[in-house]
Amino acid sequence: MLKRRQRCILSKLKKGQRARVIGINLDKTEMRRHLLDMGITKGTEILIKKVAPMGDPVDIELRGYELCIRKEEMKYIEVEVVE
Amino acid sequence: MKIALVGNQNSGKTTLFNLLTGTNQKIGNWPGVTIERKTGIIKYLNCELIDLPGIYSLSPYTMEEEISRKYIIQEKPDIIINIVDSTSLERSLYLTTQLMELNIKVIIVLNMVDRLEKKGIYIDKDKLSKEIGTDVVEISALKNTGIDELINIIKNCNIKSYEKEIFESNIENEIIKVRIKYNVNRFEAIKILESDKLYSKYQTQDIKKLREYLETTYKMDTEELFASKRYEFIGRLKEKVTNVKPAEENISDKLDKIFLNKIVAFPIFIVIMFLVYYLSVGVVGSSSTDFVTNLIDKFGQTTRMFLLQSGASNWIVSLVVDGIITGVGAVLGFVPQLIILFLCISILETTGYMSRITFLLDKFFRKFGLSGEAIIPFIVGLGCSVPGIMIARVIKEEKEREAAIILTPFIPCSAKLPIIAMFSGYFFGDKSGLVSASLYFLAIAIILISAFFIKKFFTKGMGTSFVSELPEYKLPSLKYIVKDVSDKVKEFVKRAGTIILTCSIIVWFLLSFSWKLEYAVNIENSILASIGKTISFVFYPILGTFSWEAAVSAIQGLVAKEQVISSMNIIAGLGKDLSSSLSIFNSETFSFFTKPSAYAFMAFNLFSAPCFGAIGAMKRELGSTKKTLKAIAFQITLAWILASIIFNVGTFISNL
Repeated sequence: MLKRRQRCILSKLKKGQRARVIGINLDKTEMRRHLLDMGITKGTEILIKKVAPMGDPVDIELRGYELCIRKEEMKYIEVEVVE
Repeated sequence: MKIALVGNQNSGKTTLFNLLTGTNQKIGNWPGVTIERKTGIIKYLNCELIDLPGIYSLSPYTMEEEISRKYIIQEKPDIIINIVDSTSLERSLYLTTQLMELNIKVIIVLNMVDRLEKKGIYIDKDKLSKEIGTDVVEISALKNTGIDELINIIKNCNIKSYEKEIFESNIENEIIKVRIKYNVNRFEAIKILESDKLYSKYQTQDIKKLREYLETTYKMDTEELFASKRYEFIGRLKEKVTNVKPAEENISDKLDKIFLNKIVAFPIFIVIMFLVYYLSVGVVGSSSTDFVTNLIDKFGQTTRMFLLQSGASNWIVSLVVDGIITGVGAVLGFVPQLIILFLCISILETTGYMSRITFLLDKFFRKFGLSGEAIIPFIVGLGCSVPGIMIARVIKEEKEREAAIILTPFIPCSAKLPIIAMFSGYFFGDKSGLVSASLYFLAIAIILISAFFIKKFFTKGMGTSFVSELPEYKLPSLKYIVKDVSDKVKEFVKRAGTIILTCSIIVWFLLSFSWKLEYAVNIENSILASIGKTISFVFYPILGTFSWEAAVSAIQGLVAKEQVISSMNIIAGLGKDLSSSLSIFNSETFSFFTKPSAYAFMAFNLFSAPCFGAIGAMKRELGSTKKTLKAIAFQITLAWILASIIFNVGTFISNL
């Protein structure tokens, strides 16, 4: 079980958990640019809201909206668990 | 005056476009409906309105963003109407912060305000307008409120260029330095600092220094810096102009607990798809088709009597009844089935369930090198391959998009439905529903296997993308669905009246005349027969016999798939002693068909090259004649091999 304030990658989080973004571990790529454009910047709070029945992709809530994202992209997002 | 309509995907752009211009474009409750830019004229004003594809940012991440960015930067519209989903204000305003840099007047349209209350959101529109220094209008495109105010604002808009500084002073200073150095606008200056690849020629030592200064000051690269600072600005703005009460769980979340549930999601999906199939192809659809076909038969007989009584010559009677009524009627008989099919697809699209399907199947599709988004072209392709192929643009990854374009014609489209319905209805009796269902499963299997091989051998390391959102569930608007379905049906009927009519006359002519242009020759000596005989060997492995009649009919599938049926009907009718109430498979011409050859012939028509319309769409979307020819060669070869296997294995088994 992940503890509060523990650092990990976003894909480790379970449904209903919240985390704060620390950074994106990616070089300058389109994927990184896209994640930034969608508002995944340092300090943003993310809630794991819905998970597809096969476990991937995942619907996350951030900045008052929802975004579908794959595990593959989530593993580049470094976060700190909030709850 | 040129006005561009810009906004996020699924922000209601197309609905607003239709309201302003009075046209009726396709709307869907899923991202990426606008795939090409479309132009219309705003009612009451003499302004051109351009509907651009939905985008989240002006960095060209997807093809849609590329189209929109190019348009805005190169064509410089006089006004940008920035439509904002007021229920996702933060994300929507991110694009706004970029539009505010272009030196173009921006009008901000807060859409979906009717849903704010339910979500516990309050937005102070006047304060927002003051804070960002431009016009803000509240509307609900769906409920048609606030449109007059928007039109008034456009009318009274004395175009002022518009730019706004939103960052702290040391960042703004750097931007100004770049602007002075290169005489560029704010947007370009920021792109230069971000070292955007489109501005690589500006990357000098001086710029590098400016960038390094920013990167060391803020301990992040400039791309991240500008994205963060934009969101920081929006965060402060949101504090000032909105008031958000913690929202309760909304209906969509509750519904998703069922539709995306680990255990029941897939059973529900299968039931829904089965229902679509059962209603359109199965019992309901086929009995309605039988009814209409009977009516058309009676009409044909009455017309024949009438013409004979009024003393028309034999060839005129034959042209009208055996050529036109038989050919066109064979296709029109399927209209009831198509209405049901189009209705089902329209409901899937507008309720928001289509997006759930992509979400559900993404992981499964990825095993075969496709993404969940690839299912959109496939489902739309159930109606018609042409829009299916075009909608493949929602797929960002080029190789995956190409695979989807090549594979979409494998889906049994509405025009192939008549072929399936006619063959399985006659040969498989009680099991006809099962047999037609098996063809859909065969299509899915072939698509997945082909995708897997395309990935393995042709486009190594093909990545897939998944950029989507789960829109809220909506009750479909009856008015829209009626319009959507009737447009599609009209299109189909129009084809029956144009392409199919022309072809029916041509087929009748080629069948009724010999090379010496003698009328009423024995059908065996007709022009069409001699053409068919030279190619019938190709179909020998599929049919187990040399049938020029089947061969020429199958080839006419290139014009339109439903033409296969028209042609077979005309040939059977003109050929031998077909009494009108019986199926063409009772005629001597087509009595050779067995269950295996019927199934093989269906499979061939299903998987071989699509109609010219779809081939044209493939060429447009693949952007290359060579690729298109390769794709068609692939489709024909696959269809021929598959059909040959089905026939031979089927015959072997039934002889056991």
